[in-house]
Amino acid sequence: MMYLLRRLGFYALAAWVSITLAFIIPRMMPGDPATMLVARFKRKLEPSAIAGLREAFGFTDGPVWKQYFVYIKHVFQGDFGTSLSHFPESVGSVIGDSLVWTLGLVGVSVVLAFVIGSTLGAIAAFYRGGAIDSIFPPMLLFLGAFPFFWLAMLVLFIFGFVLGWFPVRHAYADHLTPQFSLEFIGSVIEHAALPAITVVLATLGGWMVGMRNTMMNVLGDDYVTLAQAKGLSTRRVMMGYAVRNALLPNITGFGMAIGFVLSGSLLTEIVFSYPGQGYLLVRAVKSLDYPLIQGLFLTITMAVLAANWVVDAVYAWLDPRVR
Amino acid sequence: MQDVSRTYRFATRTWLFLLALSATVGCGHREAHHEPGVLTVTEAEQTGAFVRNFNPLLEAGDVRWPARHAMYEPMMIYEPLRGDYVPWLATGCTFTPDHTQLDCALRPNVQWSDGRPFSATDVAFTFDLLRTKPAADSRGIWQYLKSVTATTPEKVTFTFLRPYVPALFYIAHQPIVPAHVWKSVKDPIVFANEHPVGTGPYTEVQSFQTQAYRIGRNPYYWQKDKAKVKALHFQAFPGNDQVNLALLHDEVDWAGVFVPAIERIFVERDKDAHHFWFPLIDGTVFLYPNNLKKPYDDVRVRKALSMAIDRDAIVSVAMHGYTRPSDATGLSDAYARYRDPELVKQGDWVKLDLDRAGKLLDEAGIRIGADGVREYKGEPWVVNVAVPGGFSDWVRAGSLVTRSLSALKIEAKLDTLDFNAWYENLQKGEYSLSFGWSDVSPTPYFLYRSMMSKTTVQPIGELAAENWHRFGSAETDVLLTKLETTTDPAEEQRLFVELQKIFVANAPTIPLFPGPLWGEYNTQRFTGFPDKENPYAPLAPHLTPQALLVVTEIRPK
Repeated sequence: MMYLLRRLGFYALAAWVSITLAFIIPRMMPGDPATMLVARFKRKLEPSAIAGLREAFGFTDGPVWKQYFVYIKHVFQGDFGTSLSHFPESVGSVIGDSLVWTLGLVGVSVVLAFVIGSTLGAIAAFYRGGAIDSIFPPMLLFLGAFPFFWLAMLVLFIFGFVLGWFPVRHAYADHLTPQFSLEFIGSVIEHAALPAITVVLATLGGWMVGMRNTMMNVLGDDYVTLAQAKGLSTRRVMMGYAVRNALLPNITGFGMAIGFVLSGSLLTEIVFSYPGQGYLLVRAVKSLDYPLIQGLFLTITMAVLAANWVVDAVYAWLDPRVR
Repeated sequence: MQDVSRTYRFATRTWLFLLALSATVGCGHREAHHEPGVLTVTEAEQTGAFVRNFNPLLEAGDVRWPARHAMYEPMMIYEPLRGDYVPWLATGCTFTPDHTQLDCALRPNVQWSDGRPFSATDVAFTFDLLRTKPAADSRGIWQYLKSVTATTPEKVTFTFLRPYVPALFYIAHQPIVPAHVWKSVKDPIVFANEHPVGTGPYTEVQSFQTQAYRIGRNPYYWQKDKAKVKALHFQAFPGNDQVNLALLHDEVDWAGVFVPAIERIFVERDKDAHHFWFPLIDGTVFLYPNNLKKPYDDVRVRKALSMAIDRDAIVSVAMHGYTRPSDATGLSDAYARYRDPELVKQGDWVKLDLDRAGKLLDEAGIRIGADGVREYKGEPWVVNVAVPGGFSDWVRAGSLVTRSLSALKIEAKLDTLDFNAWYENLQKGEYSLSFGWSDVSPTPYFLYRSMMSKTTVQPIGELAAENWHRFGSAETDVLLTKLETTTDPAEEQRLFVELQKIFVANAPTIPLFPGPLWGEYNTQRFTGFPDKENPYAPLAPHLTPQALLVVTEIRPK
């Protein structure tokens, strides 16, 4: 328990640092958001109009420390203001809209990749030199070595464009409205298939090889030999003794992969025009949308911290030594 | 052993099952979901998710395309190919002889999409809104307006503080909003206008999702026979690649994107239906030399730099041959009828001539030093060329410019900057040479004002909305003032030739090539698009408000 509390204290500190960084970093970027709103349209704007826009968008020119305290207050109220690039929607609703899609798509595919990869890795190690062990790792590492967007585009091109098996963009068919119906859910799955396969294919190799290598070490340990000597079933030896220990490094990796989930595997989302967080972040940075950048940074860091805290807890359960 | 093989088999089976499932769900031939009579258009703003904002007063920010191209209409629309105004909500506008007053006669029997009549009150109300909300007055119309009054229900009178003829362009193009709806809007800038009431052909929001939306016909449109399309449909595309893919796939009927090697990639896929038209009527792309920085203040240096650039290579390599090298007047085809052929001939400093360029630099004191590079005041002369990193055509053109300059023994560097940083440096005058776009309006008045007027010069470090290169000549300002007070075409032409003379003599900026205006269309389901043979308006859907001229001509086959 002390261990978990100690970790919690550490995460509180990390949270404060990231909240502060989310305040500082956008302000260090060159350019001015009001001007940016216009510049994207390659137009000139009268200085009087720029001043008017600044006022309308609520850019305060107060001293930085004052802005900082107003900002901290708003963070605790969960109010990140109005998005400039998605004007006039609030940052909260913009993030909320895209969060669902990213969590669904990337969350599911990361979990899938982790489960499938770790299982394959464990089996490969148990049957060292077998078919799985000799075919999968090189093949998956080969796929994983492709640049991510390239793999995504290749998949899009072959299965979406040439063969026409899957839709090439968006989260669901354009003529449907979000509702709880079989047609809509089918459409969502159909649209998520290609991007999900891309994420799984690209990351599977890492999980599998990581699992396989630690599993090899563990299998060589005396307690595994002892367990086998005791006459325990192979299944128990594998699941209860070997996998439980070999999983530890992969669990740490999984905690970090959650960060990858929320930053939205940006390239996948852009290639497949998927309305998620990753694309949102790119757009926010491009248009100097400070409120949205801050909101996104914070959602991502908070999620990573929370996920890591959960991982810590799982760790404590799997590994009695850290308790 | 057996147990494990079962686990193994289970894992494999699950994996295969997942693959099979995803394959069966998406099996079969995939056709674009086309409803008859629904036109699919691409928005200029490339976005992953749409925000429901139909505010026509807000030019900046994320406003949906129909707001200014199908829902709200201006009094007149300038048609750049013919060089004339098309009467729209107004039947015509005339200046009084002393040019201090403009009278616009409004079209009778126009109705808003809620059935209420349109009248001069709406026009006066709209302009009054701009007066009270400077953020909406992006052109600064009220710098020279004194009052706008609805003299009769069908006549609006604009009174000027001083004679200012060029204002007609901005006044004519102002989208008009209904007084009966907008008078109760608290802040017209932050108003998202989710349920628009306009005079335009397509005003009814039939469905709106973040990834797609649909706009239906205005039941009360004043040109009954002109809104033939059942509805306009828009999809969110995060970037050019996605638009191109949809275009090839026949999923988009009307688009305005850059497509590389378009003949081979797009047209040849379906010669009968796939068409494009890229007229050179966008602004000229310039290389801006910073005139407040030495030695770029020296006309010889500017001309030498210009003569060193291989424009033919830029046009064919960086621009895929979609444009041609600029002439020394800097005028794109949007201003073709003002261009003086004699001055085009005289302006030889846009022709590649390394010998003369070298001589001019020698004269200006920038000579080749001991180590083989040109030196200015004893130091190696380093020329930095700034481009925004995201503009891939400009980046390619930029590297060709630096290569050209090194042939003159100049140490040239390409600075690929983040867009925000690049734009801020440009506005503040903190650069040496920079790529940049230029103004497009009916006459070259605004272009030359932003190129050469003393009134637009800002000191280095101050944000400048125009005249980024900071060149000013008193002579220009005299001519511009005369242009502000005349509507006589012959006199206008004479003054514009004078302005071109100053430009050709001084080379305040270095013109590279006139900008093409991208436009593609697909005639599988719709006709009526403009093209080379029938150039009734530019094809580009992104041209505000000229796209209205096209959207009212398109009809189902």
